[in-house]
Amino acid sequence: MSALLEVQDLARHFAVRLPGGLLGRPGRLRAVDGVSFSLAPGRTLGIVGESGCGKSTTARLVLGLEQATAGIVRFEGRPVPARRNADWRALRRRMQMVYQDPLGALDRRLPALSQVAEPLAVFGIGTRAERRERAAALLASVGLTPRLQGRYPHELSGGQRQRVVLARALVLEPALLVCDEPTSALDVSIQAQVINLLTDLQAEFGVALLIISHDLKVVRQVSHEVAVMYLGRIVEQGEPEALFRAPAHPYTKALVSAIPSPWRSEGAQRILLEGDPPNPIQVPAGCAFHPRCPWAMPVCASERPALTEIGGGRRAACHLLTPAASAAA
Amino acid sequence: MASVDDLRGPGAGIELEAEGAAERGLLGRFFLACPPLVLFGLAWIALMLVVAVFADALAPYEYTAMDLRARLSPPVFMGGAWAHPLGTDELGRDVLSRLIVSIRISLLIAFAGTFISAFIGVVLGFLAAHFRGWVEHAVLTLIDFQASMPFMIMALAVLAFFGNTLALFVCLMGFYGWERAARIARGLTIAANQQGYAGAVRNIGASPFRVYVLHVLPNIASTLIVSITLTFPELILLESGLSFLGLGVQPPMTSLGNMVGYGRDYLQSAPWTLLSPSVVIVLTTFSISMVGDWLRDRLDPTLQ
Amino acid sequence: MLHFLALRAFRALVTIFLVLSFAFVILRLSGDPALLILSPEAPPEAIEAFRKGWGLDAPLWKQYLGYFINLAEGNFGQSMRDGRSAIALVAERIPATLAITLPAFVLKLAIGVPAGIYAALHRNSLADRLVMSFSVAGYTMPSFVLGLVLVLVFSVNLGWLPSGGYGDDGSIDLQNAILPVVTLGLGGAAILARFTRSAMLEVLGQPYIRTASAKGLVWRRVVSAHALPNAAIPTVTVVGFMVGSLIAGAVVVESVFSWPGAGRLLVSAVANRDLAVVQCILLLVAATMIASNLTVDALYSWLDPRLRSLRAVKAGA
Repeated sequence: MSALLEVQDLARHFAVRLPGGLLGRPGRLRAVDGVSFSLAPGRTLGIVGESGCGKSTTARLVLGLEQATAGIVRFEGRPVPARRNADWRALRRRMQMVYQDPLGALDRRLPALSQVAEPLAVFGIGTRAERRERAAALLASVGLTPRLQGRYPHELSGGQRQRVVLARALVLEPALLVCDEPTSALDVSIQAQVINLLTDLQAEFGVALLIISHDLKVVRQVSHEVAVMYLGRIVEQGEPEALFRAPAHPYTKALVSAIPSPWRSEGAQRILLEGDPPNPIQVPAGCAFHPRCPWAMPVCASERPALTEIGGGRRAACHLLTPAASAAA
Repeated sequence: MASVDDLRGPGAGIELEAEGAAERGLLGRFFLACPPLVLFGLAWIALMLVVAVFADALAPYEYTAMDLRARLSPPVFMGGAWAHPLGTDELGRDVLSRLIVSIRISLLIAFAGTFISAFIGVVLGFLAAHFRGWVEHAVLTLIDFQASMPFMIMALAVLAFFGNTLALFVCLMGFYGWERAARIARGLTIAANQQGYAGAVRNIGASPFRVYVLHVLPNIASTLIVSITLTFPELILLESGLSFLGLGVQPPMTSLGNMVGYGRDYLQSAPWTLLSPSVVIVLTTFSISMVGDWLRDRLDPTLQ
Repeated sequence: MLHFLALRAFRALVTIFLVLSFAFVILRLSGDPALLILSPEAPPEAIEAFRKGWGLDAPLWKQYLGYFINLAEGNFGQSMRDGRSAIALVAERIPATLAITLPAFVLKLAIGVPAGIYAALHRNSLADRLVMSFSVAGYTMPSFVLGLVLVLVFSVNLGWLPSGGYGDDGSIDLQNAILPVVTLGLGGAAILARFTRSAMLEVLGQPYIRTASAKGLVWRRVVSAHALPNAAIPTVTVVGFMVGSLIAGAVVVESVFSWPGAGRLLVSAVANRDLAVVQCILLLVAATMIASNLTVDALYSWLDPRLRSLRAVKAGA
């Protein structure tokens, strides 16, 4: 199966001024620093990581909302333009975004139905009546009754708002939906509903999903594949079940061990990360994770491990997993 | 798919409010919502609008018509005749007729000026928020420049250099207060672009025109209206001040400030020629400020 | 901090440059000053001589450059009416203006700030309502109306004070100054009271004030140590603007009272289209405003250390 979305060596650096006012040295914030992955049509890739690891920037780069410093994003075989030209606009029919804060993402002066019909109006699809009909049908399929469709965003609950945002994103029948923290602004009880809805919608519309989240639970439930990011790079990638059951990278191990679970065996220790929280302006040399890694070796401080196959369709970037480096240590 | 959150109707909060209001009584609730001064303000503004619109029909005399036999005749309440209810000026022109025409001219200038200033401000604010970078810096510098100079002095300089015509004068008034609208438009638009609805609509693929005119403008309208209620009375004061100095509306045309300015010489002998326009200026600016304050409390509690 | 002030100073320079260019552009766009001053019927030789004399025949960029060089040398040109140096004309009017604007400034502060603080501390009391009513009346009433009402009451009806003018012998006469000072002071006090009150109310609603009073501080101490310094910040801006308009703020009032200050000079210069004088006053006002703005910025960072870094970030963004 050919990939719908292909990302190669994607990087986004920001010029920043280090503290110190006029005297501050210019610095470089490496938000995303060499990320590659691909996504097949109708599948779901989840990207997890702490805040500041570059996952949201990755999402924006994929959609062409930001100019990449290096690397390329290919969508349906063609590079995604990062300037808002006619090509970029045309691509919006194929790729759409779902936001973290549904109330902020909706125009509070328009009722739900008009919001969902708007993308059709933007692209001049159908008559006004047809657009409203399509919007109503889609709202019904995300679970919003006709009674609720005439309401304004502030008259809807958080879960209902996110349904409106989903319907608006899907009304153009895109091939890819990028969801940036789709559930983190919602109550826990409603999170599950939205996650179920996402998988239902994927089955119904065959849309590919790129889910960005800091919540391992969410990613595990919806994803066919998971990528773990740390300081702008993917450190481990694989199928969710295998990855979460037997994490290979020390960082993933730490993340997984932090999930509270009644089934955790007595012997399993929680791995507590030490050291400073990651700072994307001063990325450590070698493996970015080595200052906090309980198993760090001398080589970790000098050489950056590459993302390599470790069997079972999984990939990880850690010297512990490459025999040569381990032997040398 | 029925969810738990469907059960919580939006009507619940409203009913609670209504209960509290019932205790205060209907009349009390009405006055709480619309204090008497605001009601007075609304009524006065309505009266002024009616006067301005129907000035021709309402004025008993032509505002330039002179009656040299009845020069400086006092108003009714100072023992004058009903022929000239508010008296006449030094050329025997009917003060009431001049007042009515002046209200029309002054309101027209203030309306046009407010509209131009809001338009300039919103366009510049949108440009700054859309392009950011050097465009934004240029707009901010202009805002700084405008805000740091007393507008009266700038206006006087322009009038000195260009001379005075009504069209120029109106345009000049349109440069008053644009920086307030520009600040509001820029700030709210940047917020909306960065993590709000405007950014979302843009990412759908909507054109900038659609984003700014159909989405951002309606959303910032209430805050803009509140800022307009600040600009409008200030413009009336500015226009009447310049006209008072003889540098605004030029005779034979008349405006409220113009009437006060020319009546000043008769302060001792015929104070009524400047009394009625002064009262109208004060009551109008007072009314708009009252209504504006009230609107601000209701529409936008964050703006002080 | 340094960064912040440097940025403000840079903006101030840009503002000055803009004012200068504004004056120049308007000066040149306004048509031919020679025709304006000399009337179109003047003999062509006279017009030609006038143009040469004022440098109006040089190319525009040369005039622009020469304009800046002249300004740098302190040469603000001569009054096109009587040929006297514009700066001298303006300078001799400044003392009269300051003679009413300075006392009025003191009056504004003395009435406006305490009234605003008192009103805020006794919110919704009778006193608060009175202060607010006076304040609204004060800023919705144009200064010429207030001035004329005062004249009507105190000089026409009661005959206590003169209705205007300078002292008979040209010296500053206290009696003559009273009404203009009161007119200016009351209007400004109204604005200041309103501003101070809303700044105080805003501060009093902040969590740290509640914390301070909850931890048992005497209310008087809460107000003096926590509320007042914080409420001073927005108030300082308004006061700064008032300082900046010491020269320009009395244009209307000077006219009402026939007070021979810079404001009246400006009005007559505008009426006569005496461009050099208008431009000179414009630049003087701009310089005062910018200086007071810079002072306010410096005061800001002194009053609120948080702003030092914060504003730098905001201004730079």
